[in-house]
Amino acid sequence: MIKPEQSDITLGFIPLTDSAPLIVAKELGFFEQWGLNVTLQKQNSWATLRDKLHAGVLDAAQMLAPMPIASALGLGSSPANVITPLVLSLNGNAITISEALLQEVLKENNIANITLPMAGYLLQKVIDKRRNRGLPKLKFATVFPYSCHFYQLRDWLKASKVDLDNVEMVVVPPVSMVACLESGEIDGFCVGGPWNAKAVRAGIGMTALTSFDIWQDSPEKVLGLLESFHQKNPNTVLLLCAALKQACAWLESVPNRFEAARLLCQPAYLDAALDVIAPSLLGSCLTHKSLPPRSIPSYNQFSVSNNGCINQPELVRGEWLIKHMVSAGQIPPDITIPLDLVGRVFRPDIYQKMRLLIADQAEQFYRRSG
Amino acid sequence: MISIAKPQSNSAASAQLNILLIDENVQRAESIVTALDKTRYKVSHLASSQIGLLKQVDKIQPDIIVIDIESPNRDMLESLHTISHHNPKPVVMFSSQQDTETINLSVQSGVSAYVVGDIDPERVKPILDAAVARFREFHKLKDELNDTKHELESRKSIDLAKRLLMKTNKMSEEQAFHSMRKTAMDTGQKLENVAKTIVSMLRSLEKGNEHD
Repeated sequence: MIKPEQSDITLGFIPLTDSAPLIVAKELGFFEQWGLNVTLQKQNSWATLRDKLHAGVLDAAQMLAPMPIASALGLGSSPANVITPLVLSLNGNAITISEALLQEVLKENNIANITLPMAGYLLQKVIDKRRNRGLPKLKFATVFPYSCHFYQLRDWLKASKVDLDNVEMVVVPPVSMVACLESGEIDGFCVGGPWNAKAVRAGIGMTALTSFDIWQDSPEKVLGLLESFHQKNPNTVLLLCAALKQACAWLESVPNRFEAARLLCQPAYLDAALDVIAPSLLGSCLTHKSLPPRSIPSYNQFSVSNNGCINQPELVRGEWLIKHMVSAGQIPPDITIPLDLVGRVFRPDIYQKMRLLIADQAEQFYRRSG
Repeated sequence: MISIAKPQSNSAASAQLNILLIDENVQRAESIVTALDKTRYKVSHLASSQIGLLKQVDKIQPDIIVIDIESPNRDMLESLHTISHHNPKPVVMFSSQQDTETINLSVQSGVSAYVVGDIDPERVKPILDAAVARFREFHKLKDELNDTKHELESRKSIDLAKRLLMKTNKMSEEQAFHSMRKTAMDTGQKLENVAKTIVSMLRSLEKGNEHD
């Protein structure tokens, strides 16, 4: 097997349900099997995770799919050549509205219940009422400016012809989401697990729809690292991708998913209850304290979807994300998007090399075991 | 680093600056507040875990934000400019962890963020002075760049209009320029705007002729 140029690796992550591949690879010894000694470093914010990655304090990190593109363009930071050789997960986000907003929606539309996934146009009457009476706009929170959460929230509202100027969008750190929803500081949020389930279990909101109801099978988290790190340590990067890919494949089986949920519970990782972590991993979307869960088999995807393997960073997915960044007005006029941007950031070539490495290993294993 | 506490700029230097300090360590926060007593910095403190930060930012309208680099609220600060379209504010981040220097090197070339080591109450005032100065300097440069770009653009339109006039009206360069300047003076418009109008008019006439 190839040898890593650097075997001690610091890998940054944000404690979320979809950090499962990183935690599984660590806990089940997959990194060691590929000759790496990986330290997982829990981070409190995407901005600091990014700054540490740019500075080389972290060797690699779990990132929101649009983040490597934002880094390459220098949005929100100085430009840095961050690349992604591996998609870690699809879907996994959901939009939850507060109990107060739910009651307002029911009242203004004069309905007794809402069919899920909730249609965004049901908000229109609430928005109109608030505007006519000079009340504050509806306020929705997401987790980071360059996140699928933000674009999904916008798409949900736009698809229902809700004028985005009539809704306020803010960023709140996931750890404060549930408290902000409860205090009424925000009326709803789009966030990843376990925070939607946590709000439902606490009886303070309704999960109106999942990101799978808005966008089907778009990359959510990716592995990000500096191109300069890859130049210096090409083998290390292949081995890191191989271990994570193995973890993603392991997460395909439902029984394994439950074991993963148990690992994620630990204080070093999500430090949250099993009953809020396990549901989405098992394809269940908790909806409301008085309603049954919805079955969303693709709620969290780590390895395969209906369209096949998901881990390869497809260029077309990168183009799709850039399109959303442009449409959200996130590219300032003084920044021109280079034509080769996606090809520089999304690296299916590294992914393919890693596939060959795994195939080679499997062949050697079968030869040895005769 | 340029000090902004120079006597000649006393009006700007003595103006009070509102600081929003986001720190979970209440003891450290209090000693910072004490250290900045009787300076031009007025500190509002907020523990990191507290909610209501967004409201606070709106209420306090801080001139500077001082935050622990490990605070989850950093992501919210990132959004102030990009999503909520607040004016960019200088952000001073402090970190008690190792590797601060490395992070600083990478952040330093950025816009307004500034990383310092573990914040020491005795050093906090010069650090804030430096951050404010750096931020102002950066924005001055950015404004200058924008002005220059604009100037170039406007010259380009004037040149183009001049050339089109020379071609279509068979004018000399001097005649074309004078005619534009006269229109600008008569109509009380900027020369640049007159040039733009001429360009778009002559262009559409040209197009019309092509169809004939």
